[in-house]
Amino acid sequence: MTTDTHRIAAATSGTRIATGLFALVLGAFFVWGAGFAHSAALHDTAHDVRHAFGFPCH
Amino acid sequence: MLVRYLLAALAAGLFVGILMTPVHYLKLVPLIEHAEIYERGGHGSAPTHEHRASLVSSADAHGLSGHEAGRVVLVHGPAAAEGEEGGASPFESRALGTLTANLVTGAGFALILGAVALLAGHRITLRTGALWGLAGFAAISLAPALGLPPELPAMPVADLAMRQTWWITTVALTAAGLYCLVLKRQPVVRAGGALLLVVPHLFAAPHPADLSSPIPPTLAAEFAVASLATGALFWVLLGLSLGAAMDRFVGTEA
Repeated sequence: MTTDTHRIAAATSGTRIATGLFALVLGAFFVWGAGFAHSAALHDTAHDVRHAFGFPCH
Repeated sequence: MLVRYLLAALAAGLFVGILMTPVHYLKLVPLIEHAEIYERGGHGSAPTHEHRASLVSSADAHGLSGHEAGRVVLVHGPAAAEGEEGGASPFESRALGTLTANLVTGAGFALILGAVALLAGHRITLRTGALWGLAGFAAISLAPALGLPPELPAMPVADLAMRQTWWITTVALTAAGLYCLVLKRQPVVRAGGALLLVVPHLFAAPHPADLSSPIPPTLAAEFAVASLATGALFWVLLGLSLGAAMDRFVGTEA
């Protein structure tokens, strides 16, 4: 009984960390694309937003 | 539960991205467009240069008339043809590009903030959302702005990769410092957190040797303040939306 509870707790904590890391990487990917990538198409689309957020630009 | 957590964060970010676009157009894009007149004025052909210089010679000309604003957009397009990066956007209109970038940035920062809370084992709620948002503002807007103030086009800048490195390092150290300072209890860890907040500012941000700029200082100052104020609004709205979305779509656990 107790071991079961512990196992479940450990599993949920594992998924929690996995979800957290996944969200972190996905979010960083989005922000990188909008704010940092050196591609001309991305730069021009996000130009005003990059300046607005104070991301290093140009 | 955790899929709903991700979707809630995504929804909150997209919502704030939509909300911020008109704010950008109210406070920031007019200043950027105004700066681009000076940017073009620097290396435009002689006749248009003179013409444009006369258009913006009045000190507070950034209440751009429709005619003038239209001219600026036209000027931005051909810039690409002349080798200056520009005009490569897949979007027809500049506003659509800004909306898209705001959606992506909002979703990205919402996911990051949600991920940090999840990994730290804390729930963002409507009650605590504004505080989480302010922490994000401190780490991602305020701290890097101390070394690299929000800049307008045509302002003198150092190498892009160096500035990006300094920016990312500062954000990471500030976020880690805030985590130790706010969410930890042990005095030693808290002191370490306070130290982490200071460390990036002991190393000077990359600045160009020559600071002369075609952009009037008042315009630059106005933009820096508007950018930080808009950033604060973005982060508080993001924290609140994230909290509301978590309250609404994710149960009491997760």
